[in-house]
Amino acid sequence: MYYIKFHFLQTFNRIKDYDGTMPKSHNLKYIAFIIPALVYVSALSIFPAALSVYRSFLSPGGSYTFSNYSALLHYGLVKALIDTMLVSIGALILQLFLALFIAMIMVKPFKGNRLFSSLVIIPYGISTVVSAFIFSQIFSAVGGYANSFIVDLGFRPIDWVATSSSSLSVVVIADYWKNTPLVALILFSGLSGLSPSMYEAAKTDGAGAFRRFFSITLPNLAPIMAIALLIRGVSEFNIFALPLVIIGYNPPLITTLIYEFYQTSSATIYYSYAASTILLFIILGYASIVLWKGGAKTYER
Amino acid sequence: MSVNSSWKSNLPLYIGALILSIIFFYPLYVLILITFVPAPLNNLSPYPPQIPPGFTFYNIIQAYSSLNLTGPVTRSFYVAMMVGGLSLALGIPAAYGLNKIGVRTANKFIIFFFLINMMPGIVVAIPISVEFLKLGLSNIYGVALAQELVVLPLSIFIILGGFRALPSDLENQARVDGANLPTTMYRILIPMNRSAILVAFLLSWMTSWDEFTYAVIISPVKSTFPVQLYNYVTRAVSFEASAFALTFTIPVIIVAVVLQKYLKSQSFTGGLSS
Repeated sequence: MYYIKFHFLQTFNRIKDYDGTMPKSHNLKYIAFIIPALVYVSALSIFPAALSVYRSFLSPGGSYTFSNYSALLHYGLVKALIDTMLVSIGALILQLFLALFIAMIMVKPFKGNRLFSSLVIIPYGISTVVSAFIFSQIFSAVGGYANSFIVDLGFRPIDWVATSSSSLSVVVIADYWKNTPLVALILFSGLSGLSPSMYEAAKTDGAGAFRRFFSITLPNLAPIMAIALLIRGVSEFNIFALPLVIIGYNPPLITTLIYEFYQTSSATIYYSYAASTILLFIILGYASIVLWKGGAKTYER
Repeated sequence: MSVNSSWKSNLPLYIGALILSIIFFYPLYVLILITFVPAPLNNLSPYPPQIPPGFTFYNIIQAYSSLNLTGPVTRSFYVAMMVGGLSLALGIPAAYGLNKIGVRTANKFIIFFFLINMMPGIVVAIPISVEFLKLGLSNIYGVALAQELVVLPLSIFIILGGFRALPSDLENQARVDGANLPTTMYRILIPMNRSAILVAFLLSWMTSWDEFTYAVIISPVKSTFPVQLYNYVTRAVSFEASAFALTFTIPVIIVAVVLQKYLKSQSFTGGLSS
């Protein structure tokens, strides 16, 4: 999904220079074809989102109130937001780091390249709940494979879900598996676009492998890495199934907090509307920054 | 591309590839272990061994005889089919229209669609679920309707790419020969664009098969396969759940590897890459 979105952003530059050949008078007629999709999408996303914002200011009795928001502060909204932020940043760093290594190996011609590429792409096809299940088995306190490895090495076993920080690290580690392949594909397409002659020239000038990496690869890859980070960032912030399956509601992330309030009773659902509203505005703010930055870049050229 | 013959100079490369392969294969290995190793030697021991100490089909047999598998799998299949079908029913006309109104205007619509796609699933799912409950849609039909939201923008974009790659004379000629729009669509445009349409359908299908957030919020009971798996995991029937997970992961891996070929193809570049 994100790989394709990335492609969309890439081709956006090319598309904008090209204009259709149909005369303007025909345009209005063809908009009719788009209307069903537009209505569908608006009815099932803009309308519910607006409903969520409106109801976040209602009490269960139906009068207007701010109490949903003040109650959220009492129920640990700030910590949930900070934890979500930590998970997102941790996951992005880990994924980018691993993906960079994978992409750099994928561009090299060597025997076994195809096998390596297929092996690394497999987790992309595995359902999120399945991968969450696997990692909950690896990191369970009793009968977990991570602990048996640690014990084999002669250390003391770790109770992974005992503290908030270790629980969050488990979520970050579980997230790398499903999402790194996509980031790697994005970086791979960027790397394979770099010309080998640049590296040849640097080699003749006496630049070592590290120098070549930091002076050629990284700067040339930076724009694509930025796109990958921005697109992944939004979905990292919405991470839901993984933490729900692996660590449950403790410590809560913003999404599991919303879900817990929704599950509890018909009165606490108003808290989840309020928390949803906060999440919505964070994402909208982030998305508009992405578009504004991306848009500025598009028109610079 | 020439394969570098000197093995020694490639040694760091091979070591790196090997380490990364292990990191990425290990979770799958654990799934296989839990499925095929007898439970007393495995989950139920405090520190399960990394090398399989035994082998059994008991877990799989147990899972299939004790867990209700056909229900969730059939429902997942129906939902995925509905989502794929809706993607085409809404996506093909929209892509056709977008191809006609000129690229500048079309891009504004596409940006709108992708912005909608960024809306957090859980934020939208809860109000939808409350409204669907009133409409009697707290079932798999409601789930399919909601999941369509996730896949529609992408489907439109992929099909649009296919339409843009077709010469516009094709449609004009058919019209000159007297075919009306539905005939042209059915006889010419859809068959000519079938690879993009197929990719859109398969991606929608796969996304729906995997989707959890909308499914668990809109229809927590009698729901799709991921929700059922979640229920089994929380009820701690883990070795059965793992057999369950493994058997339905294999087909999806195959589809993903097949799709990977298409992911690099031109269908995603809006038809303007060359």
